[in-house]
Amino acid sequence: MKIIVNGKEAGAKEKGCALCGATWGDYYEEVDGERLFFCCNYCALEFVNMVNEIKRRTGWGKIDELIINGNYYTGRTCVAKNGDKEFKFYVKFNEEAGIETFREI
Amino acid sequence: MHMNEMANVKSDPSHVMWLNRNISTGRLDVHELARSLEEFFLTPEGLAMWIRRRFIEKFYGNNPHPFIVAMQNPTRGVLLGYVIEHQHFLKNWVRILSSIVFRSDRDDVIKYELENIAVEFLGYNGKPSHYELLLRMGEALGMKRKEILATPPLPGTQSAIRTWRKIAENKSWVETMAAMHSLELVADRSLVKYGAKLPYFNPSILSSDKYPQEVKDFLREGYEADIYHAGEALNMIEKYAEEFGIKEDVQVTVLKSFDAFSKYLLSRLERAFEIEPSLVKEVFGR
Repeated sequence: MKIIVNGKEAGAKEKGCALCGATWGDYYEEVDGERLFFCCNYCALEFVNMVNEIKRRTGWGKIDELIINGNYYTGRTCVAKNGDKEFKFYVKFNEEAGIETFREI
Repeated sequence: MHMNEMANVKSDPSHVMWLNRNISTGRLDVHELARSLEEFFLTPEGLAMWIRRRFIEKFYGNNPHPFIVAMQNPTRGVLLGYVIEHQHFLKNWVRILSSIVFRSDRDDVIKYELENIAVEFLGYNGKPSHYELLLRMGEALGMKRKEILATPPLPGTQSAIRTWRKIAENKSWVETMAAMHSLELVADRSLVKYGAKLPYFNPSILSSDKYPQEVKDFLREGYEADIYHAGEALNMIEKYAEEFGIKEDVQVTVLKSFDAFSKYLLSRLERAFEIEPSLVKEVFGR
């Protein structure tokens, strides 16, 4: 899965956390068979919850590309891609890294 | 050393999040991190101005808070979202101010907080309270008072209120005062002078025919009052933080309060989306 966070490629240690783009920390999680880098386990859990929600709503088996824009203060506006299909949404997480708001745009 | 160990070695979420939100999303080596932290907490212009500058960065900077962006041309949904969530904020506000009155032994602080409680909740000098003006705004937008009062807060508002109550229960009265009154900066028009990219709302609303008089009455109150309120409170906070030697504690608590406030403002928007589902495209689809 190609991941772009606030305009920069992410998901590997040298590039940044797959959810927030930060390069702090040292945490890894396997998502869809890929080992992704996260700054902390909260970001990892939020990312997994978000990916599961995208799949549940779209019925897709995989996501080819995920573009994430935003942060804690604004919430995140995202585009998920599967082949030539696109799914746009806004997401915000709660204190337990669960999804508090998920709205299709 | 502690911050470096917690963020870079242990990937501790609370430390990583704090660094992301306040220092940098880019990893720094231990020496750069120590220098950045030291610089971050310096207050060459005083604590009150430090609080102002941080508030501007978080809510009025290059990427302003989406609720504030929505307030530049607010729809009925945005204003009703404001009413429904803010009634809970205001009620909690005066409950927390009363805890400051209970714990402080300083006359200027007690008087300031009691006056603020009167203005916000009771009414003052023959004028209706902000709480009453808020409810009237909701009614003018077509929602019954009973319905407004019966609507519980959204989870984001509940979580923010929990944060402020924890501060009031566990921190000093000076920190509690800072956590609350720093939030009044949101409506402080003088922030534009210090670099805010936009005002709290477009002031042309106050003379527009598009909005009911009750909307203008509510917005005007905050617009005219909060310069005096936030400024006076920040000066007291600066004075007492220095007297008690708790400047850094105040800074840390203020940042925590800003995080809660951001969450709370998003809840106003979330409520607006419930009322006007098409709004989500206008706010986030641009």
